[in-house]
Amino acid sequence: MHVIITLITLLPLAGFVATLLLGKGPLKRRPEVISLAAVTGSWVLSMIVVAHVFGAHTKAIDFNLFSWVSAGSFHVQWGYLVDSLTAIMLIVVSTIGMLVHYYSIGYMRGDGGYYRFFAYLNLFMFAMFTLILANNYLLVFLGWEGVGLCSYLLISFWFHKKSASQAGKKAFLVNRVGDWGFTLGLFLMFTTFGSLQFGQVFARVAHVNPGLITWISLLLFVGAVGKSAQFPLHVWLPDAMEGPTPVSALIHAATMVNAGVYIIARSYPLVSHSHTAMLVVMTVGTFTAIYAACIALTQNDIKKVIAYSTISSLGFMFMALGAGAWVAAIFYLFAHGFFKGLLFLGSGSVIHSMSGEQDMRRMGGLRKKLPITFWTMMVGACANVGLFPFAGFWAKDEILGGDFAAHYYVVWAVGIITAFVTALFMFRLMFLTFWGENRASAEVQRHIHESPRIMTVPLVILAVPAAVLGLVVGLPPEAGWLHTFLHPVFFNVRTEHFAWAGSGGGLMAISLVVVVLGIYTAFVAYVRRPEVPARAAARVPWAYEASYHKFYMDEFYDAAVIRPVMAFAMWLWTFVDVKVIDGAVNGLAWVWGAFGRALRPLQTGRAQSYAFSVFGGLFVLIILIRYVWGA
Amino acid sequence: MSPVDWYLTLAVGLFCIGAYGVLARRNVILIVMSLELMLNAVNIALAAFADFIPGAAGRGTFFVLFIITLAAAEVTIGLAIIVANYRNRRSVQADEFSEMKG
Amino acid sequence: MPHGDFHPVLFVIVAVWVLVCALGVVTFRNIVHSAMAMVLCFLGVAAAYVLLAAGLLAVIQILIYVGAISVVMLFAIMLTEQHNAPLGFFFNRQAIFALPLAVAMFVVLTVVLVTSKMLPNGSQAHNVSLAAIANGLFNGYVFPFELVSFVLLAAMIGAIVLARREDQP
Repeated sequence: MHVIITLITLLPLAGFVATLLLGKGPLKRRPEVISLAAVTGSWVLSMIVVAHVFGAHTKAIDFNLFSWVSAGSFHVQWGYLVDSLTAIMLIVVSTIGMLVHYYSIGYMRGDGGYYRFFAYLNLFMFAMFTLILANNYLLVFLGWEGVGLCSYLLISFWFHKKSASQAGKKAFLVNRVGDWGFTLGLFLMFTTFGSLQFGQVFARVAHVNPGLITWISLLLFVGAVGKSAQFPLHVWLPDAMEGPTPVSALIHAATMVNAGVYIIARSYPLVSHSHTAMLVVMTVGTFTAIYAACIALTQNDIKKVIAYSTISSLGFMFMALGAGAWVAAIFYLFAHGFFKGLLFLGSGSVIHSMSGEQDMRRMGGLRKKLPITFWTMMVGACANVGLFPFAGFWAKDEILGGDFAAHYYVVWAVGIITAFVTALFMFRLMFLTFWGENRASAEVQRHIHESPRIMTVPLVILAVPAAVLGLVVGLPPEAGWLHTFLHPVFFNVRTEHFAWAGSGGGLMAISLVVVVLGIYTAFVAYVRRPEVPARAAARVPWAYEASYHKFYMDEFYDAAVIRPVMAFAMWLWTFVDVKVIDGAVNGLAWVWGAFGRALRPLQTGRAQSYAFSVFGGLFVLIILIRYVWGA
Repeated sequence: MSPVDWYLTLAVGLFCIGAYGVLARRNVILIVMSLELMLNAVNIALAAFADFIPGAAGRGTFFVLFIITLAAAEVTIGLAIIVANYRNRRSVQADEFSEMKG
Repeated sequence: MPHGDFHPVLFVIVAVWVLVCALGVVTFRNIVHSAMAMVLCFLGVAAAYVLLAAGLLAVIQILIYVGAISVVMLFAIMLTEQHNAPLGFFFNRQAIFALPLAVAMFVVLTVVLVTSKMLPNGSQAHNVSLAAIANGLFNGYVFPFELVSFVLLAAMIGAIVLARREDQP
């Protein structure tokens, strides 16, 4: 079993190396074969591991491969941990990873960097697997950085496009800010606990100063904010849509952005001890959820809408974690991976058929021309907004119910409003894209066709869990199969027992009503009376502009961070480098020159003056030797 | 003061007079002449040691002999150089040979 | 004359003779006058050798210094023109400083040598016979003797090469 677990990470790594080396040579015609084999192999092995965990789900597997770092008193092992939480993550990562690989064969066909794409995808899988399988924080960090790197590589995949390379840089830099917090957290953790191993850290939590636990938790959360694109480090994710759509689906919907949620969930024994940290997590998550939803309402790029939806969904997950609804958060993560991945891949299918068009204002009426895409995306959209009985409904409701039960009524209210806005923008997307008359040029309209099977099959496969996952693992609410499965991980979570007929059922009804209201509003605004949105925007132009410009966050960062840094760099150059450093070096040279110029008159060129110096020196020497040094 | 000291005083005086000549005069031939005075001063001192100090008898004499010989060789070469230099520059003033200035 | 004895009167005469002539060498304006003074000075040094019971040295001094070196000097003087000119022409700018330095050096050296405890206070005679000198020259000091002869050869050749005119073969 240890070998199988290790192989899960090694297969994609080998695939990466092999594809890079052989992609242009021997495998020129089908470079994706090796990477596909690697990722399919990882999926099979992951399923084996998951099956094993199902069978013995009270006992976690924790083993070390080798001693990785050994420097004085700092020892870190390279080892893996597999428990129930890992199993859930494995299912999400390996399944969606594999489906995206197959989907990419169709989507990236004909691209010049075809083999490079698959190599990077494999590298990403290696890093992500390492992240979720690691048994200590440092190895998690290695995977963390690795996925950040692959994110950069894949976002700026079409690097000759300026906006793409800039988006890649932006993603990396903003992530780095989060990583800084994470690293500080690691340092503090090591000095507090003397170890970075999960088992050792969690065992000693009770004996440690609670203030330190709060700090560590908050610092780890800073990393999560960066990686999972929460406010204020969310700015990279919408720009990351410059990357190919499979990348958006895999990395920015289903796997990498979940890393932040995962690490907080994994740190449950640590974070749950700090009430302050939990509050911060919940507040940030809640705010991000409604903030992103409001922005998504006015965006015109189909991928950007889904991107902001992702940010909002992640906010929901953090809201759940912070409110103490740990299992609900993981449940939502589980379902979200499937339906958000589905939505992205579906949007990719739409873009592909529209010959690269991404602006929804030029789409329309596609539901007859792209039936499979339409129906699968419909499933995904319904799951996303939380419509009964799709997966999102059960997960979201459990989160909202958890908020209410923990007496966070304001948070619950914000969550309900967010649900309304989510329904509104998501079905705005659906109606603009699939209903009405097609608004594209005649040239584009002629080429509209359903995507090839290699792209639509993954859509169908993903639609299944998006539809039924909630029913399968989440029923009855708070006491379903998933809850029992994850109990060993979140062993101290208090849950109110759900009552169908009592407050639980009432809350469910409220959220359902809200969602339906949102869908209906979108229907009216975008199908029946399409002039309404424009008139509404005209009535409150400031709100529309704020939302459309993402509440001016990028402008704020530009003014508050980028310009001062650039000015500081300029000052460093013109003053410190040119005047101080160059001045010192040049000044030193000038000093030596001055010495030379001062001593030059001694060289008269006349032998007699030298003889005078010799004789005079002899005189002085005789005196010195005889009378001063007493010879 | 023993006899040695008297002769040494004489030698030192002759040496310093020669040194003054080397440092203060401009004609290079005169400088060479002053140099010979200095050598003679040393010879006097050595001869005095040979005469008055036990153990220095033979050695002092030999030293003086060699000094005289080598002084002769040195004067030869020195004056040949001066004459050759005079042919090129028409001057025997020591102040004027300052190409190595700076 | 008894060997090795010290005769104060004779010594004073010889000393004054040498020093006055030396002063003449360094102060005369006319270089030929300086050359003459130099010859007289060498003769005085020869007399000093006689007083020091070093007859061989005296003879060799006269032969070589007075007979050869002085003549060579005079030849060189003749080959290079001299001008009559104001005083500044003969003494250079550092002469003002050279005088005190020489005087100071004289004082310091005399004091140092006279008060030195290294020289034994002897007035015995320890003259060496001519036979002993010859013996030493060809037995003990033969190596420096041969070297010096090489030096003389080199000096002769060098002088010839240096003094040649450009167009001569």
